[in-house]
Amino acid sequence: MQFARAAFSSRDTAVISPQDPTLLIGSSLQATCSVHGDPPGATAEGLYWTLNGRRLPPELSRVLNTSTLALALANLNGSRQQSGDNLVCHARDGSILAGSCLYVGLPPEKPFNISCWSKNMKDLTCRWTPGAHGETFLHTNYSLKYKLRWYGQDNTCEEYHTVGPHSCHIPKDLALFTPYEIWVEATNRLGSARSDVLTLDILDVVTTDPPPDVHVSRVGGLEDQLSVRWVSPPALKDFLFQAKYQIRYRVEDSVDWKVVDDVSNQTSCRLAGLKPGTVYFVQVRCNPFGIYGSKKAGIWSEWSHPTAASTPRSERPGPGGGACEPRGGEPSSGPVRRELKQFLGWLKKHAYCSNLSFRLYDQWRAWMQKSHKTRNQDEGILSSGRRGTARGKVLPDKL
Amino acid sequence: MLACLCTVLWHLPAVPALNRTGDLGPGPSIQKTYDLTRYLEHQLRSLAGTYLNYLGPPFNEPDFNPPRLGAETLPRATVDLEVWRSLNDKLRLTQNYEAYSHLLCYLRGLNRQAATAELRRSLAHFCTSLQGLLGSIAGVMAALGYPLPQPLPGTEPAWTPGPAHSDFLQKMDDFWLLKELQTWLWRSAKDFNRLKKKMQPPAAAVTLHLGAHGF
Repeated sequence: MQFARAAFSSRDTAVISPQDPTLLIGSSLQATCSVHGDPPGATAEGLYWTLNGRRLPPELSRVLNTSTLALALANLNGSRQQSGDNLVCHARDGSILAGSCLYVGLPPEKPFNISCWSKNMKDLTCRWTPGAHGETFLHTNYSLKYKLRWYGQDNTCEEYHTVGPHSCHIPKDLALFTPYEIWVEATNRLGSARSDVLTLDILDVVTTDPPPDVHVSRVGGLEDQLSVRWVSPPALKDFLFQAKYQIRYRVEDSVDWKVVDDVSNQTSCRLAGLKPGTVYFVQVRCNPFGIYGSKKAGIWSEWSHPTAASTPRSERPGPGGGACEPRGGEPSSGPVRRELKQFLGWLKKHAYCSNLSFRLYDQWRAWMQKSHKTRNQDEGILSSGRRGTARGKVLPDKL
Repeated sequence: MLACLCTVLWHLPAVPALNRTGDLGPGPSIQKTYDLTRYLEHQLRSLAGTYLNYLGPPFNEPDFNPPRLGAETLPRATVDLEVWRSLNDKLRLTQNYEAYSHLLCYLRGLNRQAATAELRRSLAHFCTSLQGLLGSIAGVMAALGYPLPQPLPGTEPAWTPGPAHSDFLQKMDDFWLLKELQTWLWRSAKDFNRLKKKMQPPAAAVTLHLGAHGF
């Protein structure tokens, strides 16, 4: 070890050629390790190669002359790490004489699938997919470029990795009413590639914040309804647009969301047909539809933080609905349900076949629904004010 | 050859000396500095692991011991035991301060364009913590009334365009930088522990008396 250390001053005693080459996957490499200087015993005899810490088989090496050891590598694999494969020439005692980093990989492929969105028309965030899933084995630099369509020079985005590894954020100085041309350039040691150009108008890709202040509350004593209220996102309040909203809700232990679509320009909604005595999680999101008179939809915001609320208790299960209840809806069968509940409770205590009674009741309900439907088909009447528009409501409104 | 442009570090604003007649004295800042070295040691372990994996084998192998080439300009933590024990407080602190100033400078210069964004972030975070340690040492020195080391004219570390540095040589430099950082943090913990013991309020006059002669 002392020998190896003493051999080093500011000049190397061995040199590998080529130094830090870049190669295509599958290509071959001829390398040499030349020992110079005058330390005793430093000849090409006894020298050996390692690649990434592993000793290379001796048949790949060849002594060219007294001071040079050659190496022949064929069909190279992609570099093990992006900092380059470590090819090292060792003295007989194992000490390192010289090293060279090999960069073996592929040129980048065309990036594609660029998608962008603007938060409140103030910025632009773009995402893309690297070509060939990005595996080039070499460090590949991605650069998002943009320019105004009919004039202006190329600009380069500077804030990368904002929403994932292949993303960039342009925080300011964005113009409206003129389309932007956007593309991604990928470069590495072996070459470069450019994506197709995406043309877009900032106004067409606007998104906003989720609605703040989402409140979910019970509707009086109604067991199957909850009222959702929210505030229109303030960031866009000065711009003319019609907000569209979507509400989704699920039962506490479930992963299935039910979605209420097409909630236009209102800031409250009543969910109906819910299960009594159940905790629901509710979220709302907003779409800034038709900004500045554009006929297009914008981009949906993130969902608001989940708000939880529970429906009042009841023994009767109820199926879920999918639309907002009309505001003036009357409570459905409130007193009837209560009485039924009491009756069933009494039955349970006093009847010999209490289980049977619940099953019987369900059967009776189903029968009532069927006959109710037939009745309506015959009569073609919808009793006003009593019928909800929710799908799947099975309770008849009249006994 | 590692070279560095670091004039900014040498012009840290002078930290006003703490009131030495206060109740606490320099004790708490010494303790804080000690704690910082332990924290940095912990941070470095994870950073070095990731960085060496990035450099690839054999750099991340446990017994790896390459020749120290350009790493000669790195401040060396290793020192003879008797020399270390006999350092006076001012010299002890000054050596620590100067070492970390240089090390921070070299760390900042790590031009690892190819490293992952995550690795670059970890490096930046570590540099910030190291800057904190420097500030802490400066605070202790000010509390004890020692001046911050200023570079002598002409010896300021300045960038000199060295011979074209091959990538492999750069990797070796990086390896030694991390190693030296590690050694310094181990040593500093002992330095500040020693200072802490010296600054402790006299528990018993006898003990202190012995201590003054015995170390």
